[in-house]
Parts: sequence; C-alpha cells; structure tokens
Amino acid sequence: MNNEKIIEAKGIIKTYDDSGVPVQAVRGIDYTLTKGEFTAIIGPSGSGKTTFLNVITGLDTPTEGEVWLSGRLLSKMSGNELSDFRRDHIGFIFQAYNLFPVLTVEENVEYIMLLQGVPKEERHNRVMSMLEKVGLADYAQRLPSRLSGGQQQRVAVARAMVSKPSLVIADEPTANLDSKTSGALLDMMRQLNEDTGMTFLFSTHDEIVMRRAKKLVVLTDGKLDGNSPPEEYE
Amino acid sequence: MFGRLIKFAWRSVWKNKRRTVITGLAVGLGLAALMFTDALMIGMTRHMIDQTTNAWMGDAQIHRDGFRETGRITLTINEPDSITQMLRTDSTVDAFTFRIISPASLQSTMEMKPVTMIGIDPEKEPTVSMLETAVDSGSYFSGDSTDLIIGYKLAEDLDTDLGDLIVITAAEADSGLSSNLFFVTGICHFGSDDLDRYTAFIDINTAESMLDLEGRFHEIAIRFPDSELGMDESLPFWSRFSICGNRAQGWATLATQVTAMLNMTKLSIVITAVILFGLVVFGIVNSLFMSVYERMYEFGVMRAVGTRPGTVSVMVILEAFWLGVISMILGSTMGLVIIWITWKTGIDFGNIEVSGVIFDSAIHPILKWSGIWIYPFFTLLLTTAAGIYPGIHAGRLNAAEAMRKSL
Repeated sequence: MNNEKIIEAKGIIKTYDDSGVPVQAVRGIDYTLTKGEFTAIIGPSGSGKTTFLNVITGLDTPTEGEVWLSGRLLSKMSGNELSDFRRDHIGFIFQAYNLFPVLTVEENVEYIMLLQGVPKEERHNRVMSMLEKVGLADYAQRLPSRLSGGQQQRVAVARAMVSKPSLVIADEPTANLDSKTSGALLDMMRQLNEDTGMTFLFSTHDEIVMRRAKKLVVLTDGKLDGNSPPEEYE
Repeated sequence: MFGRLIKFAWRSVWKNKRRTVITGLAVGLGLAALMFTDALMIGMTRHMIDQTTNAWMGDAQIHRDGFRETGRITLTINEPDSITQMLRTDSTVDAFTFRIISPASLQSTMEMKPVTMIGIDPEKEPTVSMLETAVDSGSYFSGDSTDLIIGYKLAEDLDTDLGDLIVITAAEADSGLSSNLFFVTGICHFGSDDLDRYTAFIDINTAESMLDLEGRFHEIAIRFPDSELGMDESLPFWSRFSICGNRAQGWATLATQVTAMLNMTKLSIVITAVILFGLVVFGIVNSLFMSVYERMYEFGVMRAVGTRPGTVSVMVILEAFWLGVISMILGSTMGLVIIWITWKTGIDFGNIEVSGVIFDSAIHPILKWSGIWIYPFFTLLLTTAAGIYPGIHAGRLNAAEAMRKSL
C-alpha cells in the first residue's frame, strides 16, 4: 500500500432539513483514504455512515467543508463533470436494488462502459471476464429478477469493478444477504483488492464485513470515533 | 449509446404493463375520437357542399352586378355570347346552364302565392342541378311551353295537383305585366324550403318571351369538376369572368350560411383537438411522473454510477416516445375500425336541417390521407414533448436523496 490519497475530506458537516427541523447527520469529519485500502466504516444505524459516503463521493454536497477526490475538489465540479468523474473513477455497490431491472446481467455490467464509450467487442470481453470472476458467466442473459440476492450483489460487484475504477464504495453491501453469501462476497472483494490493488471503502454494521476489513473507521453520531485494525476493535 | 437508451426505454415502458396499456388505451381513445370526429366532419361537410351545390346552385354562378342584391329583371348578364364562348373553352368548367329569374305570383283555382319564377333550359339544367331527379311525381319538361314544375309544399299551399291549371303573372322588362297559363306537369322534392315552397320552374324560352328579355339571362350556373374549387378564392376563374359588369362567384360566397357553418365545423375540430390533446398531455405527464417516482431508486443508482443528468432526461423522454408509439398504434387502429364501420353503415341524423341544409340521408365519415397521419403524428409529437417535463425532473434528481427517499 502506498500513501497516495484517494479521498481527503476536511471539516465535513452535513445538515438535513427534516420537516423544518435541521438535523446534523455528519458533524465535522476529517478523513483521508489512501490507495489500496480495504476499509470499513462502522457504526450503528443512524450514525451517518451513508451520508458520509454520499458526501465524499459527490452524490451529495456537504453543508460545510471540502472533499478532494483523487486530487480534485468536488465543489468545483459541474454536474456533468461530477457524473463523468464518478463514472470513470468510482464503482458503487449499494445494499439492495443495485441493478437495473429491465437490463440483463450482461447489460447491467457493461452499463458503465457503455457510458464511457468503450467499443462493443471490448465491452463484451471485459464483461464476460468479470462475470467469470464472480462466477456468473452462465447467467449473462438473465434478468436480475431471476437471480438470488447473493447473485445480484455479485453482479453489482462485477458492474462496480469492470470499468477498473480507482475506488469502490460499498454501502451496506451485505445488508440483505445471509452470512454464508456475505462471507463469500467479501472474500471475493478482498481477493480483488489484493490482486488489483483497488481501494475499497465500505459502510457496514455487519461483523462479517468488519472481520474481513483491513481497517475499521468508527462513526458515532456523525463523528469519527476511532480508526483501527479490526483485531484492535474486537 | 442512444440505440441502447431506446432499447432501455422500451423495456422500461413495459415494466409496468398494466399502466402502459391503460395509458396507451386512454391516449389511443382520444386519438381515435379525434380521427373519427374529423372523418365525420369531412363527411358532413361533403354532404353539405353536395346538398348546396348539387341541388340547385351549382359550384359557381355568374350574374350582372347588382342583380343578386336587387333582383331587378332588367339586370341581365352583359355580353352573354362572349361569356358563353369563354365558358365553353374554360378548362375548369364541366357544364353550365342559363336561367331567367323573376318574382311572380302563381294563382290556382283556390289560392295565390308569391314565388320566384325560374326559367330553365330543360336540356342543360340536369348537367348542373338536380331538378330533373327531384321531380318525384309527374314528369320533367316535355318541350311544351305550358309545362310547369313546382315544389310539393307549393302544391299543397296552392291546393293543386298534376294537370291543374295555374296562372303565372310577372313583370316584364319594360314595366308591363305578363300573365300566362301553365299546367302542373311535375311536382318536385328538393328537401329545401326555398325550392319546395317558393319556386316555380318553367321553360327558359317561355320565360324569355313572357318577360320580353330576347336572348338575355339573369344567371349562369356552372359545374366544376370538383365542388371544392368553388371555395378556392385564388381560382383565376373569378377574375376571368367578372368582366363587362358581370360578377362570378363560387358557392362559398353565394351560400354564406353554409360557409359560416363549414368554418364553425373547422373551428369545432380545432377545439376538440386542443381539448383531446390537452388531456393526452396531462395523461402522459401523470403516467411518467408515476413511473419516475416509482423508479426513484433506479434513477438514483443511474445518477450515482455516472449517468449524466441529460442522459437520464433523454431516457424518460424516450419512454414518453414509446408510450406515444403504443398509443398511436392503438388509437389509429381503433379510429380506423370505427371509421370503417360507420362508413359502411352510415350515420342517420333523422332529417335535421342545419343552415338550410337537410341531412336527409345517412352521413358517411370520409377519411382523408391527412387524417390518417396528421393526428397520429401529433399524438406522437405531443406525447414525446409531454415527456420533457418529467424528464427534466428525473435528470435533476439528487442521487443520494432519490435513493434515500425510496428506501
């Protein structure tokens, strides 16, 4: 692991308006994520994990503070620049309903490359190779509705990684999976991290994820409450 | 990418089959109603024009300036010979006939009635008007100078019948009075009060000698190959024959009530179209917003993984386009079937009279080529345009908020 900064967040505050009442979901976080990390942000429900991930990936704007992503200040980017930046540099895995229901597995996985304008043949080859890696090559022409929850998440992993992003963000990726499937999925991602050096940042309160993370970041009530290897957390 | 978006949009439209079919049927019904209304209006218009021009008027008429306003029998057509020669060589003229028109009084043994006496050329008149076929009892002119044809209502008013003696008195051109004896040889039925109650037809030669007109006429009625030419103000015919103090006018100018009715019909089609297309737009916007809110998470994911706002908007607009295509197919099919059925059976309006025109036979909707493509095309165009607002809304969705709200 080198010390190249993928994310640098300074003094992040995010306040929501909840029916006229301001709610501070993130309360002044300074955070740095370096290349090759396999880190989990942990904390109870409502601790601000998802909000924090949304802010540091440009899906949401911070009320205060600034976010640097691969050396670029997010607040200086236009809507289209942000979209293009996420498309080219970040892979997303969400907790559920990750896939486009009307697209086949192959079409879902190639979607980002389609946005990037990758030629058809290259798209196909990369999709099939990635589906091989996640063990779903035989399911390429199926619709997501005909896959199990675990298989759908594996497709989501394939989609997040097929365009070779520098960062993969996974928000509660195992929330809807059983422990066996969760473990297998995490092992697969960890393997990809070790093989390719791709950076992974999770948000979770699942112990299976925590055990496999190389580093844990604890978030409590919208504030960072510690930063440690998983064995220390235990 | 665009091709894939089209495919993506097509599949998304069918994700909720029931809603798509209901929306397609709703919009399609509007389209079908519009196509049918248009075809029916064209059928009614055609009927009104035919009734107006075929019955008596012809497609155009030539008079001496001022004759129509005053009815003075001295205002006969100027230079009738050269006008006749010109009419014979004019390519827009199919047929023409001369008429002598004068106010007169008809006296039977029982009653006396004021009428318009019209002298007609028995040979040429059938090429322009329906007088010959309108005679439903007795016979058409036999060549006898005492032949008289009157409408069935006038016959009732005069309490007279076929073969009865009638005296017609009319003013001569030189201010004297002339009275002649006639025998009712035919009773006609036009379906118009003017012709059935207030008009009497005699041979043009008799009228000429009665009124002392000697080769002069009041009216030339003309038939064009297509009655719609009578509405065409740019037709060179009008200026060509409005010479020597004469005036040539089409039926649209002569029958102002019918023209006003036709204009009202056109306006009503436009109003119907605006209302129906308005409903179409609201229907589509509503359906698309439902779809956008239902798929909020999906749009959130699309935005999150790097889809530009404009691409999301285009996706929604393409869904609107496909909804338009589906509606267009359903609507056109329904519309064509309804038009075909009613064209076969006709629609009976039960002898109603509108602007002096009696709908005494079934009206058959007429589908013009423009009706087949204009309304479906505008449905597609408007449906697609209706997708712009929901499309922009979807494109502007904040990815994080969209996903948070839908969870």
